[in-house]
Amino acid sequence: MAIQVVVILTPVLLVLMGLAVDLGRIYLIKGELKNAANAMALSAALELGGTDQSTELATAAALRAVETANGLGNKYDFAGLTIGQDTGFLTSTIEDTQYFDTASAAIGEGEDISGSAVSGSAARHARVTLRADAPLLFFGLIPLGFERKTPVAMRSVAGMSAPLCTACGIEAIAIAPLAADDTVDFGFVRGTRYTLGYQCTGAPVPAALANTSQRIPYLLLDKNNPEATLFADESSQLYRVGSGGLPANSSEARACFQINSTHLLWASASVLACSAGGVQNSVRNHFCGLQSRFDSVPIEACNAVAEVGTLSTVFPVDSDVNDLDDYAAYTGNRRRVITVPIVDALAATTEMTVLGFRQFLIEPSNGTNVLNFDTPNARFPAMYIGSVVPLKQGRFSGCSISSGPGRAVLLR
Amino acid sequence: MLLPLLFLLLFGMVELARISYTYYALNKILTTVASYVGSRQAVNFCDDGDATVAIAKTFAITGGNDPAGAPLVPNLEPANIRIGIERYDAASDSLAACECSVTGCDLAQGGTAPGYVVVSLADGYPVRLAVPFVNFEPIILRPQIRMPYAGT
Repeated sequence: MAIQVVVILTPVLLVLMGLAVDLGRIYLIKGELKNAANAMALSAALELGGTDQSTELATAAALRAVETANGLGNKYDFAGLTIGQDTGFLTSTIEDTQYFDTASAAIGEGEDISGSAVSGSAARHARVTLRADAPLLFFGLIPLGFERKTPVAMRSVAGMSAPLCTACGIEAIAIAPLAADDTVDFGFVRGTRYTLGYQCTGAPVPAALANTSQRIPYLLLDKNNPEATLFADESSQLYRVGSGGLPANSSEARACFQINSTHLLWASASVLACSAGGVQNSVRNHFCGLQSRFDSVPIEACNAVAEVGTLSTVFPVDSDVNDLDDYAAYTGNRRRVITVPIVDALAATTEMTVLGFRQFLIEPSNGTNVLNFDTPNARFPAMYIGSVVPLKQGRFSGCSISSGPGRAVLLR
Repeated sequence: MLLPLLFLLLFGMVELARISYTYYALNKILTTVASYVGSRQAVNFCDDGDATVAIAKTFAITGGNDPAGAPLVPNLEPANIRIGIERYDAASDSLAACECSVTGCDLAQGGTAPGYVVVSLADGYPVRLAVPFVNFEPIILRPQIRMPYAGT
């Protein structure tokens, strides 16, 4: 009788144990795969900057999230197995990362919801799918799980968010819209090269640089930090802002710009007469920072910047310093991409209101692969690219806008 | 004869489930830390006393903002959680630890943000199987999370 009970109860017990142990393990592996897929999708989305090369870079970045060459990285099955590797018994695969122009297409289960898979410059969202076998301990002892493993798949989607109302780490260069009623591009034309030149008064107004359509005056918004303890000298601060955008700071007011917020001109970067043909030292120091995006060796005029030797080592130069007519052909590390506040109107003495943020690709000076400061009014050529590059930091709340750069976020 | 075997199976099942749950909880804690610090700005990972890192660890470990709160996983302390920082090295085409220097990731020296954060347990988390009359060596759980750093 006892043997009969054992024979009857054994499969029941195994199923119960399978439910307790194997299902728990499957659930756990799903969680680990989801973490890995999230990291991969987010890594990929951060690289989608609207260039032909961006999907290639994004795919490589996604794989880095599960790279385990240094012993670290996202793994699965109690962090014991490398994702994408075959153990002989358990198989794990990383499907090719797919790219989409719209979030709905990326999230959709089917071939196409409102868009289809794209590549290159059109890609805005990345979809990552991971598959792995989960080993079965108790289910493997009953016919249900005779293979002693079961497939598990997880998918994550990440991409450009809604436009940011607060943008951090961007440049302090303010320009006015060419057409205030154009809420998408403020009157600027994508792919068009402009001359950004520091605002000056009177005549003669400096001309646009060669191979640019027109001169766009700019001003430096005041982000001077009198409480700074690191690179505290104002010249250093201006260089840093020019070199890498607003430095990270726990204070949002110091590190970010917010739409509808008002700002004054950087006090020491006051506007001079156009006839003087020059700019304040502050503008030059900021320009030195812009130059460092092309060349790590500061020119002689930049030696006036305090601690310039140290500052020039902080950021690498752009890996693509070529003069480009088409932004999609850009292959650099985005050091030349600047995100600037668009303000209601440039004002030397009154407050300027931020309307939005847009992006430009700084071009090298004509016929070179560096940025020269040998032109009056701190002019430099820049191609308008819209808002294609995701920002690293910012917030969505606090305004109502329909266009502008977002940040890379997980969507699912 | 049968009863001890049944008890052993039952204890084993419960203990395996406990290990799975503990690992799951640890994984969740590390994910929370990685997500929190990976999306903030001005986090100095080279500073052991960085406020954002401390808040993230406390929140993940206790589920609240009181450092004295009870940990969700027994005996887990902020010091057990290690946050590594990495950057892509184009020369070797792989990720490498980001140095705490001005050219690396030390914000206090003027460095810049890392590319990835890796959150793990410094020495793992030991779990001992509690089965009567059997003495097992502790099992060391070593969950780890790598997330791209999406802050400034």
